[in-house]
Amino acid sequence: MSAGPYADAAGLVERSAAAYASAVPDRPGDGGYFGPASVTWRVSGDLSAPVAGLRSLLMQALHPLAMAGVDQHSAWRRDPVGRLAATSAYTATVTYGDRAGADRAAHRVRAIHEHVRGVDAVTGLPYAAGDPPLLLWVHAALVDSALAAIDLFGTPLGEAEADRYVAEMAVAATLLGVPDEMVPATVAALGRYVADTRPYLRCTPAAAESMSYLLDPPGLDEEIAELWQDIRDAAVAALPDWARDMYGYPAPATLNPLTPTRRTEIRQTLGVLDAVFLAEPGVLEARQRISARMRG
Amino acid sequence: MAAAVAGTALAAVGALGALRRTGRLGAGPAVAALGRRTRRLRVERGMAALGLAARGGARYASSAPRLFAAAGEHREQLRNDLALQTAEDVAATLGTMKGVLMKLGQMASYVNDGLTPAARRTLSRLQDSVPPMSPALAGQVVTEELGLPPEQAFATWDPEPIAAASIGQVHRAITHDGRAVAVKVQYPGIAETIEADLGNVALLRRMLKITVPSQDVDGLLAELRERVTEELDYRKEARNQQMFADYYRGHPTIVVPEIIGELSTRRVVTSELAQGARFAELTGWSQAERDLAAETIYRFVFRSLYEAHAFNGDPHPGNYLFHGGGRVTFLDFGLVKYFTDDEMRPLAAMVKHLCLDNDPQAFRRAMEEAGFLVRDAPLPTEMIVEHMAVFYDTVRVRGPIAMTGDYASAVTRRFFDFGSPLAAYVAIPRSYVILQRINLGLFALLGDLSATADWRRIAEEIWPFFQGPPSTPMGEAEAAWNSGKAGRGLPART
Repeated sequence: MSAGPYADAAGLVERSAAAYASAVPDRPGDGGYFGPASVTWRVSGDLSAPVAGLRSLLMQALHPLAMAGVDQHSAWRRDPVGRLAATSAYTATVTYGDRAGADRAAHRVRAIHEHVRGVDAVTGLPYAAGDPPLLLWVHAALVDSALAAIDLFGTPLGEAEADRYVAEMAVAATLLGVPDEMVPATVAALGRYVADTRPYLRCTPAAAESMSYLLDPPGLDEEIAELWQDIRDAAVAALPDWARDMYGYPAPATLNPLTPTRRTEIRQTLGVLDAVFLAEPGVLEARQRISARMRG
Repeated sequence: MAAAVAGTALAAVGALGALRRTGRLGAGPAVAALGRRTRRLRVERGMAALGLAARGGARYASSAPRLFAAAGEHREQLRNDLALQTAEDVAATLGTMKGVLMKLGQMASYVNDGLTPAARRTLSRLQDSVPPMSPALAGQVVTEELGLPPEQAFATWDPEPIAAASIGQVHRAITHDGRAVAVKVQYPGIAETIEADLGNVALLRRMLKITVPSQDVDGLLAELRERVTEELDYRKEARNQQMFADYYRGHPTIVVPEIIGELSTRRVVTSELAQGARFAELTGWSQAERDLAAETIYRFVFRSLYEAHAFNGDPHPGNYLFHGGGRVTFLDFGLVKYFTDDEMRPLAAMVKHLCLDNDPQAFRRAMEEAGFLVRDAPLPTEMIVEHMAVFYDTVRVRGPIAMTGDYASAVTRRFFDFGSPLAAYVAIPRSYVILQRINLGLFALLGDLSATADWRRIAEEIWPFFQGPPSTPMGEAEAAWNSGKAGRGLPART
C-alpha cells in the first residue's frame, strides 16, 4: 500500500466544473447512449447528484479490491481532486456525449485499467481493474446511490422510471467491459446483486482513510466547506445501515430521522451549491446545451 | 461601484427601469395586430409613445442584464428553447434558494465593498441563468390575475418580454383607452418557493456570513426577508409608486409613471410606459446636463425623505430615465420605507446640530436618541463627530462641491470601518438600515456623474428646520410647484 499524505482538496468545485463543462459536447454526432428523453439525463441533472456522487464513492470504497486499485495505482493521494474531476469528466462524457465520444472515453479507461493490477494487502487477494466483478461493483454502487439520493433529496422517480434508469445505465458497465448478462437491469436485480456482494465488502484502512478525507476535505474554500457538511451528512444518511456500520459512522443526528423540513434544508443547501457550481466558467453554457437538447 | 451595481443588480431591481433596453417596435408581432381596434386614434397615440420608447437598443435577449451565455443568433434561439414553460420550470430555476440568492445579489450590490469576489461572481452568474417565461406561461399568469387573457385585457399585447425583473419580466402593451404601458408579470409559484427558502434562516445566515463578511448579518437577513416578502406582492409596489406619482404630480423635473390600478394585482403591475435615456447615456452628456440630473435626483431623495417621510430604497442607475434639462423619471418602487415622526426627528436633529448649530454635544445626544450610538459610550465627542462628519461633508458648508467617486468610496470605507474605536458603540437600528443606501447608493451615483452643486443650499431649501429660499433655477420652479400644491403635506402611509 502506497500510503502517503493526501494533497488538499482546494479547487474541488473549480476542477469538477471544468471537467463537466468540457465533457458536455456542443454539437454531438448523435444522441449518445442515453439521449435527452432518457431517465439517466433526468437523474444526472437532478439536484441530488452531489449526494449521489459522494454516496457512490462511499459504497465503492467498501470493495477491498476496488479500493486497493485506486489506492495503489491512481494519483488518488497525490491529486484527489484531479482524480475526482477525471471521474466526473468520464461520467459526463458517457452520459451526454455522442456514442463515438463515449466509446473513445471508455477505450481510454479500459487501456488504463490494463495496467492496474496488484495484490490487496488486506485480503491478500490479487486484483485487476479490468475484472468484470470489480467493475460491476463500481457500476452498481453508482446506480444504487443515484437512486437512493434522488429518492431522499431529489425529485423521486416512479417505480417504472427507476427500473428504466437501472436498465439504461447497464450500457455504462458494458462500455467498460462487463458482460451484459452480468449487469442488473431492474431495481430488484440491483438490490439482489448488492445483497449478494455484501459479504465481500469491508472497510479497509485505505477505505477508512480515503473516506474520512472525502467527508471533510481539507483546503476547501470556506463557502464550499460549509455546504459540504450538509452534503456529507446527506450522503451518510443515504447509505444502507450496514454500510454505515462498516465505516463506524453514526447516522447523522441532524438527519435522523429525516423530516420533511430537514429534507427541504438539504435541498436548499444543494441549491446553493448548484448556484456556486453554475458560476464556474462554462457550466451554465453546458447546462443550457443540455436543457436545449432536452427541450428538443 | 456603478459597474458592479450594473452587473448584479440591474436585472433584479430595474424591472420597469429596464424598459429602456427595448428593441425596435417596427418588427414586433404586436404591431400587426394594431388598427383593428375601435378606438384607433387613442391606440395609435399609445403606439407612438410605445414606438418612441422602443427605439434604440436591441431586445431583451441580447441586451437585458440577464445575458444568455451563448453568443449572437444562437442566443436568441436558445432563449426561446429554454424559456420557462411551466411553474415546475420556475421552481427548478428559482427554487431551492436560487431566487433568494438572486435577491441577495441585488442587495449586496449596494454593499459592494463587503462582498467577496467569489460571491459576487456567483450571484451575478445566477442572474444570467434565468430564462424568461414563455409567452404562454406569462399569458397564463396575466389571465389568472386579470381574469382575461392578455390579448383581451389589453388592446395590444406584446408576447415577447422586453426586460427582465428579479422575479418576473416586463411586457409592453397598450390599454383599451390607448395608454402605452409596461406590464410586469411575476413568475408563477415563485412566492411559495421563496417563502419556503426564506424560512431556512440557518443557511441564509451562513451564506450571508460568507458573502458579506464585513456586514451585520442579522440586519441584512432581516432586510432580505422583509424586502423579498414585500416584493412578492406587487400591490405594495403599485401603492408606493402611485403615492410618489401623486405627490410629485406637476413637479417641474421629477416624473413618476402612473400606476394603472385596474390592471394591477398581486402578480401583475401595470404602469405608464416611460421613455428617456439610460444612466450610461447620461454619463456621455455635458457636465451641465449631468449636474441638472444629479440635482433632480438629490431633490427627489431628500424631499421625499423630509417631506413625505418616505425613502425609495433603490437609488441605483437602472432606476432612472433622463430627458434632458434635469427632467428625470423615477422607476421601481419595490422598496419604499416610510418613517414615523419619531424616527424622523433624530435624523433631522443630527443634521441640524452638526451642520447648522455646530453643536457636537447635541449631535451626540441625537445620535443616541436615534440608537446610532450607545448612550454614554466612553468616547470623546470630538472623535464621534470626526467619525460621522464624512457623511455630512457635502452639506456642512455653503458653496459648490463636486461629488466624486473618491468621496463615495471614502463614505463607503467609513461605513465599513469596523476597526474604528467607535465600532463597538455604533449601530444602525433596524428602521434606519435602508438609509445606508443614501450613503452607499446615492453618493456613488452622484460621484459617477461628477456632479457639482451647492448641495448645502439645496438642502437648506428642503430641511424642514430651515426652509431656505430657492437657490437654483430648478429650486425656483420647484418652489412654484410646491406653493401651488393643494394640501401640501404628508401623503397617506401604506
